[in-house]
Amino acid sequence: MNFELSQDHKVLQDAVRDFVEKEIKPLAVQIDEEHAIPDELVRKMGEMGFLGSYLPEEYGGAGLDMLSYAIVVEEVSKACGSSGVLVSAHTSLACGPIYTFGTEEQKKKWLPALNSGEIIGCFLLTEPDAGSDAGAIATTYRREGDEFVINGSKIFITNGGYRGTGVLFATSDKSLKHKGVSAFIIDLNSPGVEILKNEKKLGIRGSYTTAFALDNVRIPAENLLGQEGQGFKIAMDTLNGGRIGIASQALGIAEGAFERALAYSKERKQFGAPICDLQAIQFKLADMWARIETSKLMTYKAACLKDGKKNYTMESAMCKMLASEAATYVTREAIQIHGGYGFICDYEVERMYRDAKITEIYEGTNEVQRVVISKLLLS
Amino acid sequence: MKLLVCIKQVPDMESRFRPNSQGIWFDENDLAWRMNEYDEYAVEQAVQLREQVGDSAELTVLSIGPDRVVEAIKKSLAMGCDRAVHIRDDHAATKDPWQIASIIAAYAKGQGFDLIFTGMQSQDRGSAQVGVTLAEELGYACATTLVGFAYGDGTVTAKRELEGGIKGVVKLATPALVTCQLGLNVPRYPTLPNIMKAKKKEIEVIAVADLLTEQPLTATTSFHPPARKGGGVVLEGDVGVLVEQLVGILKDKTAVLR
Repeated sequence: MNFELSQDHKVLQDAVRDFVEKEIKPLAVQIDEEHAIPDELVRKMGEMGFLGSYLPEEYGGAGLDMLSYAIVVEEVSKACGSSGVLVSAHTSLACGPIYTFGTEEQKKKWLPALNSGEIIGCFLLTEPDAGSDAGAIATTYRREGDEFVINGSKIFITNGGYRGTGVLFATSDKSLKHKGVSAFIIDLNSPGVEILKNEKKLGIRGSYTTAFALDNVRIPAENLLGQEGQGFKIAMDTLNGGRIGIASQALGIAEGAFERALAYSKERKQFGAPICDLQAIQFKLADMWARIETSKLMTYKAACLKDGKKNYTMESAMCKMLASEAATYVTREAIQIHGGYGFICDYEVERMYRDAKITEIYEGTNEVQRVVISKLLLS
Repeated sequence: MKLLVCIKQVPDMESRFRPNSQGIWFDENDLAWRMNEYDEYAVEQAVQLREQVGDSAELTVLSIGPDRVVEAIKKSLAMGCDRAVHIRDDHAATKDPWQIASIIAAYAKGQGFDLIFTGMQSQDRGSAQVGVTLAEELGYACATTLVGFAYGDGTVTAKRELEGGIKGVVKLATPALVTCQLGLNVPRYPTLPNIMKAKKKEIEVIAVADLLTEQPLTATTSFHPPARKGGGVVLEGDVGVLVEQLVGILKDKTAVLR
């Protein structure tokens, strides 16, 4: 066993770190306060190849592996959780399923603009009455000649506000439950697509979380992704991979908060000495670091299993669960180490605390992850 | 046109340095490594010239050191160098600037490089001797501490940083060597697609024993942190007294007030 990153991965990590330090970190406060990631930053991340890292070069991707992608999301999220989820949702949930399930024509048509970041992708699964129970979606489709006609609504769509390209799930007949679900590639500028609102949130405020109404939206038949009735499988498979992205985001948020807490504990003096001399603080740092390292090992393992084309369902569920719980724990303790200053916006750990919470919820709540893990144990 | 850029991998300067067991250099364990900052400007300038000249130019990046220096080499390849030479040497850190320059000269002699770029100095040893010594050994024209660079018709126009904020412009006919100062340009980020492409570029590996013929001319005899200074001076009294004391110190002990 070898737990060292390869030389190539180190080169990549170093390059991403350098970019994040200079281009993203200085904007993180603004992104949170203004509830938006500057277009210029999205463009630069596209130029860097962050928005198509593991997609093949022939479709405009960088041609790297899943571990590289995990490192990119982790490093971006160290500075800004909103930017981290933009990269993760775009790559895992839009580029990913189009690449995995798309025809050659679909890949050639949709992926280059997505992978360059010219168009931002999203994943339209969740509905008001279908969250963890994804088979219960009520958005319908019917075939009319060379088109599918979509009606319904979607909520909590990460990156939805960009009105880019979406992977949309709809059912032909709700009574068929998950067997009636199909997946489609949708241009969110199509007539009948209406943005109801971009939600105001506790954290990841720079990231769009959008509610859509879909009123007789016409999609060309060629935009069917996979076979009719295959939608539920596509959704589950996509989320399986997406969890590695969210684990990486959570891991990055935790590491960002830890770095600040560690530095602060050495600077802050009370009782005539830095507070890191106090065992109460030392134990906190030890607990935080142990959780970060555990999450990192599991996240990288899941990515490596996917790269090796091995089954990674168990590991992706575990890394998402471990890393998100590490993120909420570490960011909370980071505030505690900062004392009153941690509660003040200037010290940024409060933002990381707010950003961390969602990682326990989206792309499968941690309760769903526990279902996945225990089912595999007992099967 | 044949171009060469010489780079060094150095420890992250934020590291905590400890003397090694012989007490003549720092202990290399547990350090993070990166490309010498001055060399990033050298690579960027070389890549810009490579782009200016086009496909008739070939840009080689060279580094001496153990296997870990390949990380810095790969970064240079991702920034736009065409090929690389890794002179493998596990003991590069203990060689003096004369030996390092001589090793590079032994490689570069007869290769017909038109222009060689180096950083002005390294961030760790900081001798600023390798570039100029290499130029001398090859019989190349040399300009140091570049803050501006232009090339046309076989002539380099180099803007040099002199003392006291003064700049000078010198022209050099190729073959030539220039050493690059911080701020010469804006080094580009290696993009992910270019990191991927760099994996396919050639890295020629040469054992240092094949190139090293020179004995060191200097030896580092000690490496140690500076002696701990006493606590700072704390001035006390009302504002008038504080100002008087401060002005007195600035006059006596600094060049700020004379």
